[in-house]
Amino acid sequence: MRLNAENIKGMLLRYIVAIVILAALFTLPFWGGRYIVMLVMLMGMYITLGHMWNLLAGYSGLTSLGQQMYIGVGGYTLAVASTNLGLPLVVGLIMGGIVSVIIAVGLSYLLLRMKGMYFAIATWMFAEAMLLIVATVSFLGKGQGLFITEARKLVTAQIYYFSIVLVVITTIVIVVLLRSKLGLGLFAIRDNDSASATSGVPQFKSKLYCMIISSFITGVCGGVFYMSQVWVQPYASFSISWTVAAVFIVVIGGIGTIAGPIVGGIIYVFLSQYLSTLSQIGSLNMVILGVIAVAVILVAPKGIVGTVQEKFGFEILSARRWLGKSLAKVPVAPAPASEAERES
Amino acid sequence: MRKILNVDNLHVAYGKFKVLHELSFDVEESQVLGVIGPNGAGKTTLMNALSGLVIPYDGTVVFDGVNITKKSPDERCRHGIGRTYQVPRPFEGLTVFENVLVGAAYGVGKSERAVIAKAVEVLKSTSLYEKSDTVAGRLTLLDRKRLEIARALATEPKLLLLDEVAAGLTDAEVHEVMELVEYLKGTGITIIWIEHVIKTMAESTDKLLCLSTGTGLIYGDPDYVMASKEVEEVYLGVEEE
Ligand SMILES: Nc1ncnc2c1ncn2[C@@H]1O[C@H](COP(=O)(O)OP(=O)(O)O)[C@@H](O)[C@H]1O
Ligand SMILES: [Mg+2]
Repeated sequence: MRLNAENIKGMLLRYIVAIVILAALFTLPFWGGRYIVMLVMLMGMYITLGHMWNLLAGYSGLTSLGQQMYIGVGGYTLAVASTNLGLPLVVGLIMGGIVSVIIAVGLSYLLLRMKGMYFAIATWMFAEAMLLIVATVSFLGKGQGLFITEARKLVTAQIYYFSIVLVVITTIVIVVLLRSKLGLGLFAIRDNDSASATSGVPQFKSKLYCMIISSFITGVCGGVFYMSQVWVQPYASFSISWTVAAVFIVVIGGIGTIAGPIVGGIIYVFLSQYLSTLSQIGSLNMVILGVIAVAVILVAPKGIVGTVQEKFGFEILSARRWLGKSLAKVPVAPAPASEAERES
Repeated sequence: MRKILNVDNLHVAYGKFKVLHELSFDVEESQVLGVIGPNGAGKTTLMNALSGLVIPYDGTVVFDGVNITKKSPDERCRHGIGRTYQVPRPFEGLTVFENVLVGAAYGVGKSERAVIAKAVEVLKSTSLYEKSDTVAGRLTLLDRKRLEIARALATEPKLLLLDEVAAGLTDAEVHEVMELVEYLKGTGITIIWIEHVIKTMAESTDKLLCLSTGTGLIYGDPDYVMASKEVEEVYLGVEEE
């Protein structure tokens, strides 16, 4: 990139904003109230959940309705690893991610042959099947679920850091991924899968990578969530409401954008907190969230971030490859066969 | 001359609906094979079978010495088959430059420098360079057709499949696209070219294949094909549509 005053100013501004946000996040427990810390902790988890659904639905055309499977598997693996096997919590979290990946890879050979509605319904079916299995195995506490005894020793501020580290790493992973060759291929698949295939983008492999990343991080996210709950119970952890939340977050924020799940996740946590003070009926709250999502789709189909970006012509956390920037980074000799030369 | 493509006894169906049957022909390296035939004859289906979007239920396709009959579209692309679509299918949310980058990055798989250099070269030779940063969804039909060619060229194909690149354009625009095809021929790339402009096809191809309801009706030198009674019957019947 050419270093003119404009560029330096823009770069500086971006770094300063990033550093201020990160500094605020990492010091929050020292100056923020308990309620705020709890809210931001939840935001970290829901933004992560949104990012991972967006990676599947927004970029690779894989509209999953089964993200709750990885949340549940992450929670249960953490419980078994820490309580039964006596392993440290961090190891349990990572194991939750790994077990999720193993399941996702196992199912991928079936799932990735399906498209659209079929994929959506199949992911939901597998999640329901997993719920039925978990809820009947006595080793996993049947309908009662399991305690994560070790997590009782943690205070909210400690779990808060797990959540913040998770969402920061997840956001970095998404940005790096979408700016890589794989990301370019995913954009192509999103826009036209047959044309991407005949342009050389390997379909199965690209989608499999997405499923692996999405299942790993969602699994870890489930572990972090149930660390804060101390108790993982089958019907809540394998509930479709996890995917409903993810869809809400991404649709409100802007599907297929990097900043969308961040904005959507923040709104979701505020809204669901507010709604829970109004009524204790979970299903009613889900209906209200659904109505809001439908309203947003009608008014701004690209979500908040997508609409703002279109109106003002800029992108937050962009993965766009501009010609000028690419040439500045990788100077190439001018090509020989220009139109003018050809005609002369 | 070396045969780069050999299609033998090809049968293609969509479900139970049979589209191509007993189709056989060869293409020699650096030659242009024109494919003509009425609408619905199966020309696009032939492209789909060659690029891997449909798998034939019988017959073989050998490309560059390898049997590719059952290979996936992306494998075929990396192996050297590039194609355009009759109704353009750009990556609408990506810029023109990014569209071409997809082809350059995945087609041959080179260093970042080589990929960008290839993209720039292709954008210039297809007259799209000035529109590099335009989002593809906003392009005119002519530029979409150019982008189809550019994206395919970026994969560095040995065989390029052109599916009615001139269809739907005004006369002036057709002229521009034809110039581009002439340029492609000059590069020595092997081309299979579907077009409805019969006169152009007769003049600027090395071999012609006339398809009629799925069978290779007649195949050979353009003069021979054009003069045949069969082509006259099939073609003149639908010319005025
Ligand atoms: N995806 C498809 N599914 C079912 N039938 C198809 C499909 N694509 C084309 N066809 C049918 O196959 C026949 C050949 O179509 P096509 O190859 O597009 O012809 P052409 O390109 O020569 O006009 C037509 O009758 C068309 O209706
Ligand atoms: Mg056609």
